[in-house]
Amino acid sequence: MKANKHLLLWSSLAALAVLLWAAVHENFFRDWRVTQREIQARLPSSQADAFTIQLKQIVSREVGATDRCVSCHVGMAPGESGIEGDRLFGRHPDVVHDPASYGCTVCHGGQGRATETADAHGTVPHWPEPMLSKEYLFAGCGGCHTHLSVSNLTQLEEGRARFEQADCLACHKLDGRGGTLRPGGAGGQEGPDLSRVGAYGFKANWYEHHIEQKKKAASGPWISAFGELSASERLATDEYLRSRVGAPGLSEAKALFHTLGCRGCHKVRGVGGDDGPDLTAVGNKDPGQVSFAQVEGERTLANWFKKHFRSPATVVHGSAMPELGLTEQQIDQLTFYVLSLRHRIYPEALWPKDRIRAERFGMREFATDGATLYGTFCAACHGAKGEGMRYPGFTPFPAIGNPDFLRLVSDDFLREQIKRGRPGRRMPAWGQQEGGLRDEEIGRLVAYVRNLGGAAYEGDPKPRRWVQGDAAEGERLFAKACGVCHGERGEGREGPQLNNRVFLDLAADTYLFKTIRNGRKGTSMAGFGGGSSVRGAMTDAEISSIVAFLRTWEGKK
Amino acid sequence: MSDVAEKRSAREESAVGRSLENLKAAPRRFTETVFRSGRPHSDRTRSTFVFGNVFLHLHPVRTHRWSLRWSATWGLGIAAISCFFVLLVTGVLLMFYYKPYPDVAYLSIKDIHFVVPTGRFMRNIHRWSGNIMVVIVLLHMARVFYTAAYRSPREFNWVIGMGLLMATLGLSFTGYLLPWDQLAYWAITIGANIAQSPRELTDALGITEWFDVGGLQKLILLGAEEVGEEALIRFYLFHVMILPLILVILVTVHFWRIRKDGGLARPIDADNRLGPSSGDVYPVFTEAAQKTYSLAAVVKGKTPIVGHGPEQTIPSMPHLLIGEAAVFMLTIALSVILAIFLDAPLKELANPAVPENPAKAPWYFLGLQELVSHSAFMGGIGIPLIVLIGLGLIPYLDRETEGSGLWFGGLGGRSLVIRSAIFGLAAVVAVEAFVIRFGWIRQWWPNTPQMIITFINSGTLLTFLYATYSVWCLRKYNSTRAGALALFTCFVCGFVVLTVVGTYFRGPNWDFYWSPSQWPGH
Repeated sequence: MKANKHLLLWSSLAALAVLLWAAVHENFFRDWRVTQREIQARLPSSQADAFTIQLKQIVSREVGATDRCVSCHVGMAPGESGIEGDRLFGRHPDVVHDPASYGCTVCHGGQGRATETADAHGTVPHWPEPMLSKEYLFAGCGGCHTHLSVSNLTQLEEGRARFEQADCLACHKLDGRGGTLRPGGAGGQEGPDLSRVGAYGFKANWYEHHIEQKKKAASGPWISAFGELSASERLATDEYLRSRVGAPGLSEAKALFHTLGCRGCHKVRGVGGDDGPDLTAVGNKDPGQVSFAQVEGERTLANWFKKHFRSPATVVHGSAMPELGLTEQQIDQLTFYVLSLRHRIYPEALWPKDRIRAERFGMREFATDGATLYGTFCAACHGAKGEGMRYPGFTPFPAIGNPDFLRLVSDDFLREQIKRGRPGRRMPAWGQQEGGLRDEEIGRLVAYVRNLGGAAYEGDPKPRRWVQGDAAEGERLFAKACGVCHGERGEGREGPQLNNRVFLDLAADTYLFKTIRNGRKGTSMAGFGGGSSVRGAMTDAEISSIVAFLRTWEGKK
Repeated sequence: MSDVAEKRSAREESAVGRSLENLKAAPRRFTETVFRSGRPHSDRTRSTFVFGNVFLHLHPVRTHRWSLRWSATWGLGIAAISCFFVLLVTGVLLMFYYKPYPDVAYLSIKDIHFVVPTGRFMRNIHRWSGNIMVVIVLLHMARVFYTAAYRSPREFNWVIGMGLLMATLGLSFTGYLLPWDQLAYWAITIGANIAQSPRELTDALGITEWFDVGGLQKLILLGAEEVGEEALIRFYLFHVMILPLILVILVTVHFWRIRKDGGLARPIDADNRLGPSSGDVYPVFTEAAQKTYSLAAVVKGKTPIVGHGPEQTIPSMPHLLIGEAAVFMLTIALSVILAIFLDAPLKELANPAVPENPAKAPWYFLGLQELVSHSAFMGGIGIPLIVLIGLGLIPYLDRETEGSGLWFGGLGGRSLVIRSAIFGLAAVVAVEAFVIRFGWIRQWWPNTPQMIITFINSGTLLTFLYATYSVWCLRKYNSTRAGALALFTCFVCGFVVLTVVGTYFRGPNWDFYWSPSQWPGH
């Protein structure tokens, strides 16, 4: 009885103590309370009295944010000043989006409603959306914004070179570099900050304006800094300025994406190929939903992407993505860009201009000149210069810049080919319905491809179907000479698939005949009209019979 | 005229006065109606208090000194019901925030964990109480067995107790899915596959097409082919409503039977064993009772005890109640202490496309999963069924009286239990070691028909060894109780070792590893 009473007493006290501790901890020792007490102690006494320790939060129903980050980062709460000059507890650096109305997580990620440091920053195990690390901070912009008309990297770099060579940084600040204060500090910078000029827009006649000013000026930077630019240099500079939207690095990353031809297989917002997964919201992926079995290091999405870019099939079993052989810098840039593909869903009334332009007015995220279009959609498979690509473990991709090929095909052939693709093969159809490319864009692509080989169409006076031949003989010859590369039934191996419906429909007899007879220099396709050391030359009749045999596949598949 | 008015006003006055008087007396009368026999100061008033209180009257008014000793029960029954009480309270709190729908469920647990004030603490308490309850219910069963407390007239209460074990495991298992994370999803997938395991037998017989009892069991459990929204709402309903209801009903019967069966089991010579009672304990009546028990007098059997004074009993209030309260608070203290230090796990959102490897069932089923890895049918259905039937039959087979109410009572006693434990451990470790080291029939002769594996595997071998040993003990001591002692001890050893192997020594693809640090790919 006495022992039981003691047991009752002590166990009750223990339970009570734990419950009391839980209550005390909840009310006094939560991270945000400790932080706020610390801030209160550091504040000057006049402010410290007015400062109340309480849970602070920014609620924005429109963007769906309930962010309690400001419970610790007090200076960033509406109406609070926090500790002046302190990076963590002072005001938010000046940004276009006032944190008071946008909240924090919409840009930074993390867990808005949590009030413990680790929980809120999302560094706890299995938290689906951890905060974006500093190096990828601007990836957060991609949640709402769509960066428009970004050209390929070559053009962007060209623009940057022009901009810097023209000494624009002497007066203008850009992405935290350059700019000079006026003598004596009166009137601030010599020229306006251009870091976000692409978002605001700029006058088309800026160049004329500068020249005029230079003429008027007697001294100072107008005389020393500004030089004349050629028309093409001006275009490149314009291009570069348009890409300056206040997210340094992100434009370059996107430009790289538009150079490597990723969209040949991947759709982003409805434009792109179907072979790979849609990337529209891939930056929102829950790291818990991907396999980290083959990924070393931290279980972050960035880490996963990096390893994936190095070796796709190692990370995703059976991936049909080739190893692209990228440099570490490119891998880092690509990671940055895919992390920015966040595409938040929220009411249209709140969309920024660029997103409305992209998703309602049909403006393009990629520049629509031929070079950028080619870089965005074609380069991954057909090579940066149309030289064709060979990836380990994949059938070779054709060299569409080959002059022997271009001589035999009309622009119409190319246009139709791009539009209709090669069904059953990796070449997707790019028409508006399927791949999302518009006729005028395909037209520019055709012109660009034509230019790659520098060969004009030689014309074809004959009707599309003129060959008469013995198909049975053709079959025998095909098995002997062609089957090795093109497959016994023309299903395609080393060489392209010949029994393809679209191919047989588009290819005129002259095209087939001449290709077989003359071959394509620089590719595996030999000219069978001339013999070699291992086989004799084919006669025109034999070639005709092969073409006739090819025609027997028409309509079968 | 005035006479009448005067009378009326006087009456009114007195009626109002009476009401006021009554109002003044109301608090006192309220107290009196609550404590009908006055405040429980004396033994007599305490006894009437216990007797007249709906919650306390499940207790006897007086309790035998034997039952109050800690070693009689270790308070395990009360600890189990205490856990249930804690689970009920924290569970209801969790229900305020929990939303039983896939993905949303996960987010709501995230909210409970990270956002709701003290939410994480409450969830931790709920989780720890749940696990403690499973352990305690198992220990309670072992206590009842080893003190031979299941014997007549308590046979049925043993069976009710088995029902309670099932309900407890069911509650724990259904609760396991609710967080909807990877851990939950794959554990329940494994659990559902265990339910489906009769398919191994029906497949081997080639009758699955017509008689798919395994598939049917899984379908009933999940409401679909795979763990999904149907399974979640099903599990939720079972967890918060059906199973708690069943458990409450069974517990009521369980308690009621304890009273009707004459309190806790104790040896016939308990009074002698206890020796003379200390000063504060006194007999109520020492001679044949004069009192008639009216209706109760016609009840057959030994209850209520007539003509035999309960000499060694002492008032339940406060003696029993203090002990019970102590156990109750101890249980709460244990779960809150664990809850404040150790967080309940919450992994990634459930992803049917990325299986956990190894996917493990809740820990109390890992012994079964270990057996399932040898043969799905035998591990999942066959052996559990044998065990359940065996346990249920124990009180009906053992009709002996020797050693009732004593630890390891009965022929053989403690030494038999120790020897059985050594045999039980040796057998299960040897069989496991053999299978892990040398594999089994399928590895030696790949074309062995499934039927042979189903009936000859390490699980059945182990069962056979245990059964043989028990029968040998039964014959040696010429006592059913001795056989039961041997078998139950072996069962406990097997359960513990298989559970430990399944929990700590099985890694990806259910391969054997000495420690998780050796697992590949991480």
